[in-house]
Order: sequence, then C-alpha cells, then structure tokens
Amino acid sequence: MNDYEKYRQVRKEAAATGLLLLVLIAAWILLGFGLAQVDVELFGLPLWVWTSTVGFWLFAVAGVAVLVRIVFCDMDLEGGGPRG
Amino acid sequence: MGEGRLSALAPLLLFMALMVAIGLFVRRRAAHGSFVAQYFIGGRDLGGFVLAMTTVATYSSVSSFVGGPGMAFSVGFGWVYMAVVQVTAIFLVLGVFGKRVALLARRFDAVTVVDLIRARYGSDTLAALSAFVIVLFFCGTMAAQFVGGANLFATVTGYSYGTGLVLFGLVVVLYTAIGGFRAVAFTDTCCALVMMAGIVLLLSYVLHAGGGFSAILAHIRAAHPAMLTPLADGNMPVGLYFTQWLLVGICTVALPQSVVRGISYKDTHSLHRAMLIGTFVIGFMNIGVNFTGILAHGVLTGTPADYGGVDFVIPQAIVHALPPALVGFAIVGPLAASISTISGLLIVAASALVKDVFLHHAKKSGREVKPRTLRRLSTLVTAGLGTLVFLIALTPPSLIWLINMFAFGGLETAFFWVLLFGLYWRRANRLGALFSMAGGTAVYCAAQYFGLKVAGLHPIVTGITASLFLFLLGTFLGKQEGEQNRFLFFPKKG
Repeated sequence: MNDYEKYRQVRKEAAATGLLLLVLIAAWILLGFGLAQVDVELFGLPLWVWTSTVGFWLFAVAGVAVLVRIVFCDMDLEGGGPRG
Repeated sequence: MGEGRLSALAPLLLFMALMVAIGLFVRRRAAHGSFVAQYFIGGRDLGGFVLAMTTVATYSSVSSFVGGPGMAFSVGFGWVYMAVVQVTAIFLVLGVFGKRVALLARRFDAVTVVDLIRARYGSDTLAALSAFVIVLFFCGTMAAQFVGGANLFATVTGYSYGTGLVLFGLVVVLYTAIGGFRAVAFTDTCCALVMMAGIVLLLSYVLHAGGGFSAILAHIRAAHPAMLTPLADGNMPVGLYFTQWLLVGICTVALPQSVVRGISYKDTHSLHRAMLIGTFVIGFMNIGVNFTGILAHGVLTGTPADYGGVDFVIPQAIVHALPPALVGFAIVGPLAASISTISGLLIVAASALVKDVFLHHAKKSGREVKPRTLRRLSTLVTAGLGTLVFLIALTPPSLIWLINMFAFGGLETAFFWVLLFGLYWRRANRLGALFSMAGGTAVYCAAQYFGLKVAGLHPIVTGITASLFLFLLGTFLGKQEGEQNRFLFFPKKG
C-alpha cells in the first residue's frame, strides 16, 4: 500500500467505525426504551433490563468483531520520515 | 493508624509492591533506543492485550467503581442502561484515531498528541494551549482520583484518609516516575485484571449475603418498583441519557489520554485485537459493577444518605458482605481503578511539559539537551506533578467529584473538533483550531460556572456546540497554511 491507499483505507475504517456507532445507538434505543413496555420477565427482571445491558454489550462486541474482520485490514505502519 | 485492620491492609501493600517492582523492572529493561520515545510512549511496541487493558484502565476511574454503582443503588437499572453506553468508548477511539495517529506519529516522529497537533496546524500557540489544557484538566482529574481512592481506603480499612493517600498516592507517583509509559501500560494491565476479579468477588459475596439473586430482586420489586423502569420515576430523565451519550460515549473519542494510546502499539493486528478485547472488558466492568451496586440492596437496608452519600455505598457493601479476611482483596479492585487512571494521566501531563514545552523550545533555540539531563528531568517533572496533585488532595476541595466531571467535559470540548477535523478534514486550519480550543473551552467553563444548561442539558452540549461553530468560523475566516504538512497529512493519488 502506498501513502494514498493507506489514507483511503484508514478513512474508510474511521467511517465504518462511525457507522457502527450509529447502529449501536439505534440498537440501544430499541433494546432499552423500545422494550420497556413489554411485559416479559427473565430471571425475575424485566426483559428490557437484560436486552439493554448484557444484550447491548454482546451486540457491541459482535459488531466490533464484524468491523475488524470485514472492514479493517492490516497495513505496514512504518512509512518513513517526512517527505515533500 | 493503629485502629485499622492489618488484614485489610496486607493485600493492598502486596499489590502496591508489585506495581513498584514493575516500574523498576521496566526502567532497567528500557535502556535502549530514544529515551523520550521509551519513557513517554513505551517504544511503540505494545501488543493487543496490553493496549486494550491500558486504554480501559486509564478510562475507568475510581468514580466508575464507587460513585457510579452508588448511583445505581439509588436509581436502579436505568443507571446501568445509561452506563452501558461506555462500551463504545474503546472501539471508537481506536477505530477512528488508532491507525491514523500511529501512521502520522511514525512519519513525524511524534510521541504526544500535542506533537501531532503542532505538525498538523503548524502553530506553537495552539500546541502550547493544548499542553496547558491537558495539564490543567488532568490535575483536576488526578486530584479527584486521589481523594476518591483515599476516602474508599479510609472507610473500608479503618485507617485514616491521610494514610491511604500516602500509601497508594505516593506509590503511583513513584512507579510512574520511574518506569514511564511502559510501566503505566503494564501496571494498567494488572490493574484491569484486578478490577475484574474484584467485581466478581464482590458480586458473589453480595449475592450470597443478600440471600441470592431472586430474594434481592423480590425485595427491590416490593420496596423500590421504580428501579425496574428506565426513567426511574423521573430520576433518569431522557436528557440525562442524551448528555451521557456525549460525555462518556461519543466525545470520549478525543480524550488525549486515550488518543495517545494510538501511538503506542506495535502493529495493526494488535490494534484490531485491542478494539475487540477492550469492548468486551469495559462492558464486563460497567455492567458488573453497576449490577453489584443495585444488588447491594440485599445487604444495605438504608438509603445512600444513611451511609454518608452514594460514594459510600460500595465501601459499605464491601464491609457488610465480605468476611474480614477478604475485605483487603475487595478494596484492591477500586483502588486499582484509581491508580491506573492517575498513572495514565500523569505520564501524559508530564510529556506535555517535558516534550511539548521544554524540549520543543530547547530545539527551537538551538540548545542541545543531554540524554542524562533529559532522563532526570522527565523523572523529576513526573514526580513533581504527581506530588503537587498529592498535596492538593491532602486538603481536598469539597466539590472534588464535580471537578472530575468538569475536567472530563473540558478536555472533550477542547480536543474533539481539533482532532477530528484536523485529522480528517483537509480544509481545517489553525485559526479554526485556535478558535475552537480557546473559545469552546472558555464557553464550556462559563456555562459550568454560571450553571447555564440549554434545555436542561449538561454544559458539555453548550461547549461542544460552541467549539464546532467557532472551528467552522475560524476555518472560513482563516488562511490555508502549511501546504507541505497538509500534503503529508492528506496524501494525493499518484
């Protein structure tokens, strides 16, 4: 990869990270406020408590796993000194 | 000191001895290569696991382990729902800035975030302002960690506040000054592991002492039904959720103590691993410790006020739920959160003074600094800064926890747009960055001081909005400067 390709790739990865953040915000709303009225309990706690905490956390871990596997790629970080 | 329990002190003494041993070991091993790069960034060779742990441990402060769960005890599961937004903090900073700053730092031989800001905007004024903001706000945050840790120590062990402060406060300053960033990274890793073990230990004993999960929940359902709803009878307004997403979620991407970790790892494979491990660990800690705070209703029957406030809920839960022989082990976890944050901030604050101010001006005026002088100066400045904060904590201001959150928001306001636009927007220029950092921080401080809350939201919303507006204004009014560096930051095709 040359400097330009690395920059493009890094920009793509940063944008994908931002996109994952938006997905997680939507999931967080859905798994918490969205399920708060559902009258289902699991181990004595309302469903929304499980989905919005443990569920959201596991969803985030899965999202990061997908992100680094699909979008992120390995590159050489040593690009030499300043060049004009 | 005589009235305290020695059994509660022994595990902490052992842990602190281990931290100093790591500092000494690292100092001996790091005798090769550039001293500045070794001392302030650990030689850029951290692996994925250590990178994840040091980022999490520096981010997770004593308030995550004491004040947060205390609030969860008071408010209920809505607090856990709010706190869990922090699972985004690690992958966000490493995903957005991790590779970008790693590439640029190698290109410009940068070892600090201020180095990168200076290279990008070509402004000594902006660099000096960045260093000033870092030192100022970091000192506030460190003082809060010292006070929180010493209070916890005094409550649980029976020894005095001063004894706690001397015991863990001076030790953290000592090992950070001796071993630099590398010692911070390795001790942070130990601290993060100890924090996780501490949560498991406390949670299991709280469950046992409270008669089990079902019994504690039945009690909560009968006595505090609002704790099972997200809005908790108005104690958790939607506006609070919104501002917490900004304050401890999205805007943490620009915290200098987190961004600098992007300069410290060895290869991109390590970065990818750290994003995954860090997200897992920070979620485990946040959910585990806040659930523990709520389940403490099984062992504490009063209100937080009965125990001296929300900050004393977890210390009291430790005392009530654990057998005396294990109290000392349970306290090591929260204190590890405190010392790992102090060490992480201390080394960055010292680098701002030594590398960004002293060395830069020495180089500019053509003065050569001998390696031996530099080594001594770095150690002395780190120790001096730590000692200064230690002295502040000896007579703590009464609003120390507010100072902690104030500093968090101040750093985010100062650096969010300067870093984000600086690293990803070609048109961003120095006037915009100066306006944003100086003006945004001033607006944020004024909003805090005058209690200005637009639509009832935390002043971070006002600060970050003003900072954005001022950046855009400065960028459109200012000139495009430093074309050579701009090309290096934003390479063109071909």
